[in-house]
Amino acid sequence: MAKNYTLEILTVVVLALFLVGFIYTTNTMKDAEFGGSDGVGSATVAEMTGQSEDAFQPLIPQWQPPSGEIESCLFAIQATIGGIIIGLVFGYWIGQNKREKTT
Amino acid sequence: MHIMEGFLPAIWCIVWWIVALPFLIYGIIQLKKILSENREYLPLLGATGAFIFILSALKLPSVTGSCSHPTGTGLSAICFGPFITSVICLIVLLFQSLFLAHGGLSVLGANILSMGIVGPVAGYGIYRLLKDTSLNMYITVFVACVFADLFTYIMTSIELALAYPAEIGGYMSSFTLFFGIFAITQIPLAIVEGIVLTLVFKYIVQLKPDILITLQVFSKEKIDKARSEI
Repeated sequence: MAKNYTLEILTVVVLALFLVGFIYTTNTMKDAEFGGSDGVGSATVAEMTGQSEDAFQPLIPQWQPPSGEIESCLFAIQATIGGIIIGLVFGYWIGQNKREKTT
Repeated sequence: MHIMEGFLPAIWCIVWWIVALPFLIYGIIQLKKILSENREYLPLLGATGAFIFILSALKLPSVTGSCSHPTGTGLSAICFGPFITSVICLIVLLFQSLFLAHGGLSVLGANILSMGIVGPVAGYGIYRLLKDTSLNMYITVFVACVFADLFTYIMTSIELALAYPAEIGGYMSSFTLFFGIFAITQIPLAIVEGIVLTLVFKYIVQLKPDILITLQVFSKEKIDKARSEI
């Protein structure tokens, strides 16, 4: 029986379209900064209330990553934790299936 | 979907915390219950939770020229329901508030409500509606994941609109404004997230169908049928 790869192919197509969208936007929208929409949201709040963004002080004191590098490092750690768990679980399941087949 | 620390008036922080707390408490009770029932749920819980960790760390560019991140909550909501999902989101959002200055402790309630409760509830709701229809199982999963992602951002827009109604037009025009910033950016990302999580679901069906059957995620007939087509 031929394997059914419809979903895999669809995923690749969607990812390719997403990539095309990104390339198109970077080439046509010269003012696109690709900042976080969270930041845009905060800027809009500041604009609406007529205050500067610095006027919004944390209600509970907060540690800030000192630089973009450190922030991206911490984000990578977050994703790594997820990746390790996923690899572990799928590996565990594959191993379990294998053992069931042999015994 | 993160509302930044300090950007929500104290009164709203408290309101959203009060709304979020019962969900979290019930989620913890449920979590204990299912894990004492069957330890084999733990790997599935780990995998679906891990996707929330990964996807919410990825800031993807969107067609509007700004970046946003998927939530990854759909899969967990389908397998374990929205309450347990809210507990996993608490962990992720706490990590981001403490170490990344994304969100914060006072706005954590509001952020849990949007990403951990309203999104998963929306995804779970549409999944329950479609679950026993003749619709293809994978389409159900896809739609549920897209809903979970989009409704997270709709809720963030509502939270901001309630706190900051526009001078002209009030809540509604303010909601439209925030909705434009968050939700429109999110649509392409929600579709990508939906298809990726659906693919992951296919692999779970392939590797560990019995867990999905004991959890009654889908009927045995549907899963058996899907497996015969793999």
